[in-house]
Amino acid sequence: MRITAFGLLAIVSSLVISIGLGWAAEGPIKVGVVLPLTGEQAKFGEIEKNSLVMGLEEINKAGGVNGRQIELLIEDDTGKPDVGRSAVEKLISQDNVVALTGGYSSSVTYAVCAVAQQHKTPFLVSTGSADKITEQGWNFVFRIAPPVSEYPKALNSFLSEVVKPQSVAILYENTLFGQSGAKEFAEQCEKAGMKILIKEGYEAGAVDFKPLLIKVKAAKPDFVYMVSYVMDAALLMRQSKELNFNPKMFVGGGAGFTLPEFAKNAGAAAEYVFSADLWSPQLPYPGAKDYFENYKKRYGGPTEYHGAEAYGCIYVVADALKRAKELTPVAVRDALATTDLMTAFGPVKFVSYGKKKQQNALPTYLVQWQKGILETVWPKNVATKPYVYPVPEWASR
Amino acid sequence: MEVFLQTLVAGVLKGGLYALIGLGMTLIMGVMGIINLAHGQFMMVAMYITYALFHFFGLDPYTTLIISMPSLFILGVLIQKYLLNPLMKVESILPENQVLMTVGIAMVLTEIARFIFSSNYLSVRTSYSSSAFYLGGISFSVALTVAFGFACFLTLSLFWFLIKTDLGRSIRAVSQDSEAAELMGIDSGRIKVITMGIGAGLVAAAGTLLLPIYYLFPDIGGPFTRKAFIITILGGLGSTVGAIFGGLTLGLAESFGATYIGMDFEDLVGLVIFLLVLLFIPGGFRRFTKV
Repeated sequence: MRITAFGLLAIVSSLVISIGLGWAAEGPIKVGVVLPLTGEQAKFGEIEKNSLVMGLEEINKAGGVNGRQIELLIEDDTGKPDVGRSAVEKLISQDNVVALTGGYSSSVTYAVCAVAQQHKTPFLVSTGSADKITEQGWNFVFRIAPPVSEYPKALNSFLSEVVKPQSVAILYENTLFGQSGAKEFAEQCEKAGMKILIKEGYEAGAVDFKPLLIKVKAAKPDFVYMVSYVMDAALLMRQSKELNFNPKMFVGGGAGFTLPEFAKNAGAAAEYVFSADLWSPQLPYPGAKDYFENYKKRYGGPTEYHGAEAYGCIYVVADALKRAKELTPVAVRDALATTDLMTAFGPVKFVSYGKKKQQNALPTYLVQWQKGILETVWPKNVATKPYVYPVPEWASR
Repeated sequence: MEVFLQTLVAGVLKGGLYALIGLGMTLIMGVMGIINLAHGQFMMVAMYITYALFHFFGLDPYTTLIISMPSLFILGVLIQKYLLNPLMKVESILPENQVLMTVGIAMVLTEIARFIFSSNYLSVRTSYSSSAFYLGGISFSVALTVAFGFACFLTLSLFWFLIKTDLGRSIRAVSQDSEAAELMGIDSGRIKVITMGIGAGLVAAAGTLLLPIYYLFPDIGGPFTRKAFIITILGGLGSTVGAIFGGLTLGLAESFGATYIGMDFEDLVGLVIFLLVLLFIPGGFRRFTKV
C-alpha cells in the first residue's frame, strides 16, 4: 500500500512538473514592470512605458530570447508606495515573473525593491534615483541610471571652471528623491567652499511659490539649484520671472527640467535655464539617435532621458535572459550581475563603489534651454551649442 | 517688511480663489447635507473646457467663463437629477451613499479626461500669464489679481442672488430646514438640482480663473477637493460667509506658513488650523455670522 501511494505521488508530481515545464517552454517569458500610469507622475510613466514597449517589439521581432518571445506585464503603481508594493507582490506571486524592471519615483521604487529582494526576484531599476536604493546591500536590485547625487557631476565642473559662485540656494520637493538630491548637492557645495544661504523643501503641486521665492530673492544667492518635477519646475521659473529675481543662473537637477513639457509650460521663463541631464540623442551611443527618431515618429512627441533609461532597461533584461543558465529569477539575477552591454542609453555594467552595490556608472551632462531647444553645453567635447553665460537679466531680454 | 507685505498679498489673492472653490461646496453641503467629493473634479472638467476653447478656437481664458460656467451648471444639474436624486428615493440606501456616489463620479470624470486628453500636463499660455505689476515694490501677478477681482464679483453676485431673488430665498429655506420648506410649497428636489448646478458653476469659474497661472492634468481634482473640504469645515458646514473666511484663512495660513515656517509645511499649516478650528470652534466661522 505504501509503495503504491508513493508511486502515485511520484506519477502525479512528475506529471505536474512536466506540465509546468511544458508551460514554461511554450509561453512567452514574463517580465514585470511597475510604473506610474495614473496619478501625478503619469506623464513620466507614459514615456517609460512607451519606450519599454518599443524596445520590446524590436527585440521580439528580432527573434526574442533564444527563439522565445518576451511578454511585459505592466502594473500601475499610481505613484504611491503601498500600491507599488501590492502590484509587485502580485507580479511575483501570481504571474511568476522572472525579472522586474521600471520604477519611476524613488519612494515607490524603494518600497518595490524591498519586496523584490524579499522574494529573490531581480529588479532592474530604470529611474528611481535616491541614493539609498542601491546602498542597502540588496543583491537582487540593479540600477541602470546614476544615483541622484551624481546628477550634478558635469554641473560641478562647469561651476568650478566657469561660474565660480560663492553662494547657493537649494530648493527641493519634499520627497525621497528631492531630499536625497538636495542633501548630496549641499554636501558637494560645502566641499567646494560655497555658502548655502537657503536649503528648503516644498510640497509638490503648490499653486504659489512666491513666499518661498521672496525669501530666496532676499538672500541674494549666486545661483539657484532646484530638484523638482516638471510642473513645479515650470511654476518656479514663471514666478521667478514675475518677481524679477535674477541670480547668475538657475539650475535644475534633472527630473522635470529636461522634459519638453517644462519648456512648453514655462514659456519664455524656461530660456537659459540650465539642468543636469543624463542622456541626449546626440550622444555617441549606438542606436541613441534611432531611438529618439523612432519614438518621435511613433508617439508624435519627443522623448528624453527617462525614456532612454527604460529603453536601455528592456535591452539589458533581454540580454540577461539570453545569457541566463535557466529561466529562474535567481539565474536571471546572476546573469544581470555579469552584464556588459552597450545600449542606446549608454554602456551598462553593474559595479560596486562606495556604499553602492550593482550600480551602473555613467557620466552626466549639463544642458541649457536655448530658444526652446534643450542643448548639451558641458562637457565641451559633447556640447551641441556653446553655453550662454552670464545669463541676461529678465528685464533686458 | 517687504517680505511680510508680499506674503500678505500672495495669501489674500490665493485666498480669493480658494473662497470661490469653497463656496460651491458649501452651498451643496448646506442644501443637500452631503459633501460633494467630486468638487475638485468638476473644476478639472471646467479647466479642460477652457483649455480646449483656448487651444482650438483661440478664445481668451477669461472669455471662456461664459461657456465653462453654464456647461458645468448643466453637468451638475444632470448629475444631481439622474445620479444623486434617485439614490435618495431608495429607502435602504443611507444618505452617506450619495457621498460614495460622488467619489465614483470623481473617478469617472478623471478617467474620461485621461481618455480624451491623456496624462499630459497642459497649460494655457497668455501674454499676461507670467506678467506682474508693482505697487511700492510689491509684485502683483496680473492673472491672479484679475482672478481675485472675478472671484469677488461672483461672490457678491451669489449673495445678491441668495438674498434678493425668489429662487435664492428658496435655496436658503431648503438649506435651513428642507421639510419645512416643502410644507411651504417649495419643490426641494428641484432646488437641490439647481443648487448642484450653481455649485458646479462656481467651481468652474475658479478652475477657469486658475488655469492661466497654474497647469492641468487629469488628476488635478483630488488636491482641490481636499482644499474645498477644509474650507467648508473652516467656514462651518453650509455657511456661505463662512466659506469666504475659510478660503481667506487657508490662503493666508498657507502663504505665511510657507514664508515663516517653511514651504514644505505649507499644507501642514492649513491642516493644523483645520484641526484647531474643529477643536476650539466646532461650528467653524459660522458662529460669527448668520448667512
